[in-house]
Amino acid sequence: MAKPKISTDWMAGCSGCHMSLLDIDERIIKIAELVDIRATPITDLKEPDESGVTVGILEGAVNNTANEEVAQRMRQRCKVLVALGDCAVFGGVPAMRNFFSMDEALRRAYVETESTDSEGKIPTDPELAVPTQTRALNEVVPVDVFVPGCPPDPDVIFYVLSELAMGRKPELKDDLLHWH
Amino acid sequence: MVKVTIDGKDIEVPEGTKVLQAARLAGASIPTLCHHPLLTPYGGCRMCLVEVEGIRTLQPSCTLPVNQNMIVHTDTEKVRSARKFVLSLIFSERNHFCMYCQKSGGDCELQNCAYVQEMTHWPIAPNWKPFPVDASHPRFVVDHNRCILCRRCVRACGELVGNFTLAFEDRGANSLLIADLGIPLGESSCNSCGTCVQVCPTGAFIDRASAYMGHDDQLDCTPSICSGCSVGCGINVISRENHLLRIEGNWDAPVNQGVLCEVGRFQPLDENRERILTPLVRKNGELKAATWEDACSLIKEKLIPLKNDAGDGVAALASTRLPAEALYLFKQLFVGHLGSSLATGIEEGMPTASPASLAVQISGPFETHLDGLKSADCTFLIGADLTTGHQVAGFFIKRNLPKGASLIVVDPGPNGFDQHASLSLKPVKGTDCDLVTGITAAILKSKAMKEVQPAGSTIIGDLELAAKTTGISTRLLQAAADLLAAAQNPVIVYGKGITAQKSTDVLKALVKLRDLLDLSNGNHTGLIGVKGEANSLAASQYGLNLPFELNSQRAVFLALGDDYVNQRLIKRLAGVSFLAVQASYRSPVTDLADVVLPVETWNEQEGHFVNLEGRLQKANRAIEPPEGVISNLQALQLICDALGFQPDRDWKEPLFRQPAAVELFEN
Repeated sequence: MAKPKISTDWMAGCSGCHMSLLDIDERIIKIAELVDIRATPITDLKEPDESGVTVGILEGAVNNTANEEVAQRMRQRCKVLVALGDCAVFGGVPAMRNFFSMDEALRRAYVETESTDSEGKIPTDPELAVPTQTRALNEVVPVDVFVPGCPPDPDVIFYVLSELAMGRKPELKDDLLHWH
Repeated sequence: MVKVTIDGKDIEVPEGTKVLQAARLAGASIPTLCHHPLLTPYGGCRMCLVEVEGIRTLQPSCTLPVNQNMIVHTDTEKVRSARKFVLSLIFSERNHFCMYCQKSGGDCELQNCAYVQEMTHWPIAPNWKPFPVDASHPRFVVDHNRCILCRRCVRACGELVGNFTLAFEDRGANSLLIADLGIPLGESSCNSCGTCVQVCPTGAFIDRASAYMGHDDQLDCTPSICSGCSVGCGINVISRENHLLRIEGNWDAPVNQGVLCEVGRFQPLDENRERILTPLVRKNGELKAATWEDACSLIKEKLIPLKNDAGDGVAALASTRLPAEALYLFKQLFVGHLGSSLATGIEEGMPTASPASLAVQISGPFETHLDGLKSADCTFLIGADLTTGHQVAGFFIKRNLPKGASLIVVDPGPNGFDQHASLSLKPVKGTDCDLVTGITAAILKSKAMKEVQPAGSTIIGDLELAAKTTGISTRLLQAAADLLAAAQNPVIVYGKGITAQKSTDVLKALVKLRDLLDLSNGNHTGLIGVKGEANSLAASQYGLNLPFELNSQRAVFLALGDDYVNQRLIKRLAGVSFLAVQASYRSPVTDLADVVLPVETWNEQEGHFVNLEGRLQKANRAIEPPEGVISNLQALQLICDALGFQPDRDWKEPLFRQPAAVELFEN
């Protein structure tokens, strides 16, 4: 039987969940023995295979049209979609802006920030992705496995990856279930 | 008894028991959020839903009383999915993002509930409506975005503290916790007791001092006794790495059942006095660091010539916040060994001397326990303001008022309880005795009872005379008499306004009033003296009860501990030729001293305290003292050693030797 293929990508997140994934240290070799690690933001291949992967892992919330594309592409190309980390699971820190209007959020980011000079202006280039309300991944596409945590503990990630590699659905509870 | 079957297990519980308690007795674990064992069940959060055979819908177990042969299931698929759904709704209502909340990580009851229900995500997306944050209070912040509308704080504020500051306005998702009629908490009638902070299940109430300082499992919790006043509330001292973080009320403490006042919960955190870390000896007019040997030998050199010189010898003064162990050693050293005629407590017997002498006169205790206040339907409060001290005793009175209890306040000046009083009587100063005997006479008359004179008493009351001297109309005095006579469980509470008077006449009149009420309603009427500091009663039992009137004493020893001194005392000590002080903090009085010994503070030393109802309780060490600082007891022992005096270490028996105003008992 061919090894299951795993692909990952990130959206509105801090990359901390991928850091935590790397924090499984030498255990990543065990994972690599069991699975075929394909496109990830930290490997050369940048997009999941068009032919499809077994497991797709997404970090970060969905807060613009570019993220929507990433989420939809991954959903189309993977069998099991994993939301990794609090941003993908709940919306996380990027969702703080939902308590304000988009206008307020953009003005704060590009005009009022202490490090911005008097020339600060909100980018309007048509090629840029359009910001949207920040959403958890499951508000955009159906999600199969939720792995909360900010970031999820390396032990939790290792457990999730090894279960998926063995073709089982990981069940997070007790010591493995933490939201922050 | 009622028989119920819970998850297949038969148990018998008393009638009226709620299904939640019955289930917990049967070993079932039912999650709760709005429920708190000391508050009236509210049924607000619906986490505790259970399936009851024969009832169509799921029922909240916290408010549902058991029925004979009721069959309850607490862990069915229907129940589990309902609990998850309830949590989904709660999480969708406000900002419950754990990653930026200081409660997250073990201390949040909401998060823990979600973990138990194995929730990996929120099935319902959050409502993004922002709610205000009220940071107007100096002790804590209220973040309405974290509020789950469980109303524990509202119930605690009303039912436990009797303050009724907190309430809710509006309905449904717009429900908002408000103070008074919707003003900032810091400007409201809040008395800063912090009980709301302690009961909040989420991060809606944030304690300013200890927020972000660590999760409960990283902190040390030491059960102890508050040394703020003579109520003697049970506390948990919360610390981390030997630093005091916060103080919580101990829910299991018999005196206060978890409730504290601002003095107990927050004021110790304000401590900013300069700590004394080494012994100090005055050389060439200046206090210089010295060794314990030097300091003790100087004290020895000054005190030995004064031994047994009653008139011009040594005077000694001890804080009544010291543990009983230290107070007894102090008494033996200065009275027993050095023969001082002036060894007393810093309160000079004001709250305790006259009740103590009455107890000796009538050879027995005459006061009752604090518990009586909790069931009082009429409180007669005389000479005490329970909003400025002994506040927790005041909470017990206030929480009964909405149940219809009456309150009579007698105070010549303004009293914090005036606004809550059914009757607020303002007698001319010094006429308390006439007032009490007048009211007693009125009760006798209305009950058509014959006056029973206690042995040796010659007090005869008269309503008309009382009205004339007190300046209070006979109508008001009669009204007070009527309220007392109508009560089933009246309690008389008296304070310093009464005990500061040298004569025991008012006390005798109060005892007589109590005896009369006992006779007329057949119940036990409470009589409670609020005393003063944490160990006033122990100091009094050791005879440290005298007024501190310096004559020609040539030396004064002050065992101050971490207590404060007033200006009057500083003035009196200014002219003393030799002053030795043992103290934790620098103060104008240590600046005056010739020798200063550094000692431990309230949370560093352990020892026993006797509260206002005679309950003997032990305070424990929560914080390790700085190096070189010793306890008050050890400092006094060093002086005993220097003088070659071997004191008796059994402090307990002498405490019980004298009859006290209230019967002493061990907790």
